[in-house]
Amino acid sequence: MKFIHFADAHLDSPFRGLSFLPSKEFNQIYQAADQSLTKIVDLALKENVDLVLIAGDTFDSNTPSPRAQLFFAKQIERLTDQKIQVVMIFGNHDHMKKEDLLVTKTPYFKLLGNGEKVETVTFETKDGFAYDVIGFSYLNNHITRDMIPDFPEKGQDYTFGLMHAQEKAQAGNVYAPFTTSEVQNLNYDYFALGHIHARNNLSEDPWIVYPGNIQGRHINEMGAKGCYLGEIDEQTKKTTIEFKQTSPIIWQAAEINLEDEIDKAGLQSKIIDALNQAKQKTYFSLTIKGAQYLTEEERELTADTDFWQTISQNSPFDSQLVDVRYETNTSLELNENDQKAFEKAKSEVFSMDEFAKIVNDWKKKDPEAAVLAEDPKFIEEVKQLTEVKLMSKLKGIKDETETN
Amino acid sequence: MRLKQINIINFGQFSSKSFDLPSKQINVFFGANEAGKSTTVAFIKQIMFGFHLRSNSSPFFEDYTPLAHVSPMGGSLIFEADDSEYELERLYAKGDKTKRGILTVKKDGQVVPESLFFDQIQNIDGSFYADSFIFNQEMLGQVSSLSQEDLLDRIYYLGAADSGKLLEMRDGFEKEAGKLFKKTGKKPEVNRLLKQMEDDRDNLAQTQAEFDDYEELDRDLTAKSDELKSKQQALEKLQKRAQELRDLQKELGNYQTLLDLQKQVKDTQFDSENYQKAQDIMAQGRNLQKTIKSLKEQLADLDNNNQADLSASKKLVQQKSQLLQWQAEYKSCLQKADELKQEKEQILALSPDTKQVLDLTPEQIKQLQADYLALPKQENRVEAAANSNDKLWYVIGAVLAVLGLILLVMMGTVGVIALITGLIFLGAGYVKGNNANKQNAAILEKQKLVAQKRQGFGQQYGLNPDNLDINNLVANANQYHLKENAEKANNEQLSQINQEVAQLAANVQNMLKKPIEDDFSSVLSGIDELEEKIDHSQEIGQRRMTISSALKQDQQDLKELGLQLQTLFVQANVKNMADYDAVYKDSLEQAKIRTQVEALKKSLNDDLTQLTKTNPAELEQQLHELNDQIAAANNEISDLQQQNAQVQVKLNNLADSTAVFEAKQDLANTETNFESSSKEYLANLLAAKWIGRSLDLASNERFPKMLKAAKEYLALLTGGRYVDLDLGKKLTVIRKDGKKRDVKYLSRGTAEQLYFALKLAFVEQIKDEINLPILIDDSFVNFDDNRIKYIEQLLRRISENNQVLIFTAQENLVEKLGIQPLTFTKGNQNA
Repeated sequence: MKFIHFADAHLDSPFRGLSFLPSKEFNQIYQAADQSLTKIVDLALKENVDLVLIAGDTFDSNTPSPRAQLFFAKQIERLTDQKIQVVMIFGNHDHMKKEDLLVTKTPYFKLLGNGEKVETVTFETKDGFAYDVIGFSYLNNHITRDMIPDFPEKGQDYTFGLMHAQEKAQAGNVYAPFTTSEVQNLNYDYFALGHIHARNNLSEDPWIVYPGNIQGRHINEMGAKGCYLGEIDEQTKKTTIEFKQTSPIIWQAAEINLEDEIDKAGLQSKIIDALNQAKQKTYFSLTIKGAQYLTEEERELTADTDFWQTISQNSPFDSQLVDVRYETNTSLELNENDQKAFEKAKSEVFSMDEFAKIVNDWKKKDPEAAVLAEDPKFIEEVKQLTEVKLMSKLKGIKDETETN
Repeated sequence: MRLKQINIINFGQFSSKSFDLPSKQINVFFGANEAGKSTTVAFIKQIMFGFHLRSNSSPFFEDYTPLAHVSPMGGSLIFEADDSEYELERLYAKGDKTKRGILTVKKDGQVVPESLFFDQIQNIDGSFYADSFIFNQEMLGQVSSLSQEDLLDRIYYLGAADSGKLLEMRDGFEKEAGKLFKKTGKKPEVNRLLKQMEDDRDNLAQTQAEFDDYEELDRDLTAKSDELKSKQQALEKLQKRAQELRDLQKELGNYQTLLDLQKQVKDTQFDSENYQKAQDIMAQGRNLQKTIKSLKEQLADLDNNNQADLSASKKLVQQKSQLLQWQAEYKSCLQKADELKQEKEQILALSPDTKQVLDLTPEQIKQLQADYLALPKQENRVEAAANSNDKLWYVIGAVLAVLGLILLVMMGTVGVIALITGLIFLGAGYVKGNNANKQNAAILEKQKLVAQKRQGFGQQYGLNPDNLDINNLVANANQYHLKENAEKANNEQLSQINQEVAQLAANVQNMLKKPIEDDFSSVLSGIDELEEKIDHSQEIGQRRMTISSALKQDQQDLKELGLQLQTLFVQANVKNMADYDAVYKDSLEQAKIRTQVEALKKSLNDDLTQLTKTNPAELEQQLHELNDQIAAANNEISDLQQQNAQVQVKLNNLADSTAVFEAKQDLANTETNFESSSKEYLANLLAAKWIGRSLDLASNERFPKMLKAAKEYLALLTGGRYVDLDLGKKLTVIRKDGKKRDVKYLSRGTAEQLYFALKLAFVEQIKDEINLPILIDDSFVNFDDNRIKYIEQLLRRISENNQVLIFTAQENLVEKLGIQPLTFTKGNQNA
């Protein structure tokens, strides 16, 4: 038996940090998730799989656009027309009512666990291999309790678990928090998860798998994206899985390191070299380490999207530079007293409490700001930027003092 | 440092005025207004930091110029510091280059470099001193413009290296941050993006209604489609019913036709056999009539063609034998003419000389004979003649031989005979010739003598006497004349015949009425033609007989047919065939009607009974109503279809709409911009904070400590009504109940209390680095008793570390402080 497992298609979801791209380029991006899903369906048809598991967040919201819905329905129809069984659950983004789904009614499409109730379905492959699929769909955007206790004991058939959830580790987890060991204890043959956009196997025996999302949408969703193609030995019930990339575009980090001041031409060629590593169409986030060596002008230049476009012109596979970040790679050298004061001030200013206090006015203004204010990645970026800004200014003072 | 003594030499309204300050803590100067309190404050400041003799604007307490007539201007101050005493003397004489005055510093009576004193107070300048240590009404009034900056500036002055630049940098970052975001603002980038995010979210929320819209439209479409289907079904029923009615209506028409037809049915007897017979007879009659007519015509023709009298023709035909005879005669005459001609030619050929004598008369001939006979003889004349005879032998022989050869081939025996005869002639010719030649040569000589005579004869008659046979010649000439006569007779006969034939030809031509040549063959063929005509005419007579009898027979038959027909007419009760035809047609019509009736009856069959009961008008009415209903239903259906199409278009539009994605993308773009602008803003803000905090730390946190003290002092001065203050860009205070107040909304008294709290906290904070007397110039006028009590408490605390000099005109204050004041005596300044 063969099956495909994917999740988090997030159809209709926007891309971040690309608004500066020319509209032609942007139209490609806009279709990237659709293309990825189409490719997954192509793969299912080519491999003639028996089952396709969709582990939630197919749509970006619980009121998906008709366009996205109809597109999805069309893709599903391609599968069900070939009598490929599709089992799908809703996630925290597409916590919809089953009736709102525009997929054509067919015995080959099953929306599992409607109304947040764990449901078991049993199917047979064309060759008569019986299997169970057990899981639930979101009805609301949050499920605060662990749903694993609701999952039944494994029966005789090969058993798939299907769940959109997040591991307990983090406090305030409202996505059906679970522990890996709990799921392992269920001992289902394959537990298909969704929600986390990074591909990750929580366990290999038994399989507990996050396939990641099908198309990276911003710089924090890097690397190849797609689905898992699984094959089950019907005798031994042993399962092997293989990742298949379907995303037309990948996001990738690149880095340059400055050891000293550098002129614009040198800087530009260093960046171009860094982007030459692309093996397919790639969106790069460039980190400039040693950004304190940049002049004010160079920093402004490298932050300019027009400059990014110029840099990207000759990149392989039409790749694009879409993000530049700055990091310092040395600490300031001031007189002992001041140095100490600055170090101490830094740790104080960036302490959780102090930071929260400082950003409070801004944070209160908008929920988006509130989210960012809590986002360690964002905080780190702000910290890096602050450091770069401050160090390049202090360097100025120091230079001035020395030349004076 | 504490001020021990003030010596004014010349300054303001004072000359030679001295004060000894009794207390190291609080000293009170009492004097009425204009007594010189503020002058003294100015004096203390200017002795330390220089006179203010510039013409540009200056703080109030320096706002006067030294008296022009007194010189030198200035005086001295004596400070007590730890274990030594500093005397600062500053004098200005007219003409001095420096307008600040000349300062002399003495430590314990010894002149020392002024830095020795100023190092003790961290080399601050006059404005630092004035801002930090001097209190008066004007400065208190400036409380609302007090800013962190100024205070920080002064505080950090004592801390980090490059503090000025760092502060500048900090301010720069703050300014940049302020450009990007303001707590209350619309224009800065981040604020703008905040607003845009809200808008984008609203927009997204609106587009997300697309889904509901789609569902609603879909439901609408389904409902409408159902309605359409049921309407279409209803329509179908109506149409079916209408069809039934129309069928009935059509049948009703048929039924009506049936009734009409039935009315037309007549009971008629028609013997179609008889009619057929009559038809046949008519046909026969017509044929007979045609035949008769034709026969009559033939007869008429025959009569026309055969009216000529044949007897003349017959006579001419009888002349045919005569003609043939003429022809034979004519032929023989021609033959004869030929023969005669040949004979004449033969005579001339055999005897050419004959020609010479043909025209001679018989008398002339007799003369000739006589002349000839008179001529001498010539010997060889015979041989020559013989010789010519020989040749004849040859010719005959050759001819016969050739003829014999030809005949031999053709007829055998006759040929042989001819051949032999020829050969004999040839042989004979040869023998004769040979004999003649032998004799000729012997006689040639004799002949020459007679030749002359002979020549004369020849010339007269044109005849050669040598070879002339005169008798023969005359015989020949006679013979020739005989032949000519015979020829003449023959010609007359020919002309006779020709005349006869011409006459006959003319007759034949008349008869045949066409030109006939008068030669035999033409006349013969003309006669033949006449013969034929006669035969033909006889034939026609024969035919006329036959035709006449046939005609008679046919006419008889026709009569009989007429009778038969009349019988049939009588039987059929008609007058003539036209009537009979009409009757026949009628019978056919009836047959047709009966067939139609039968067919209609058969087709109506089941409905016949219903039809007898149906009212056509009612049916029409029903059908009319039904048609109206159908039209209405059609309208409704097309209406619905149109509505459906519209809904479908909307659905399609929604299905193709990327509005949701675009709205999300817009929001995401704004959020991204917001994120990066915020990052920029926060980095600037944090950089400023970082620098500020670094400065705090580098300056031993004097500023935070000062703020802490200021809060404490404010609480003390306001009796606990204000517990906190916020020294940002704007100064605000916080009431006990937590409410914030802008300084500009505070009462004058409270504002001044705040000023004291801040400034005293500052002085307190820097006391270890800079310790100078605090000068309070008439600053409690706005204070009530309570406030005076509170400030007194505070000043007593402060004065433990810093000397305080209070200048006042308020007696009650002096009383409250319980300190013996130093006094100014009005009008006695120069004492």
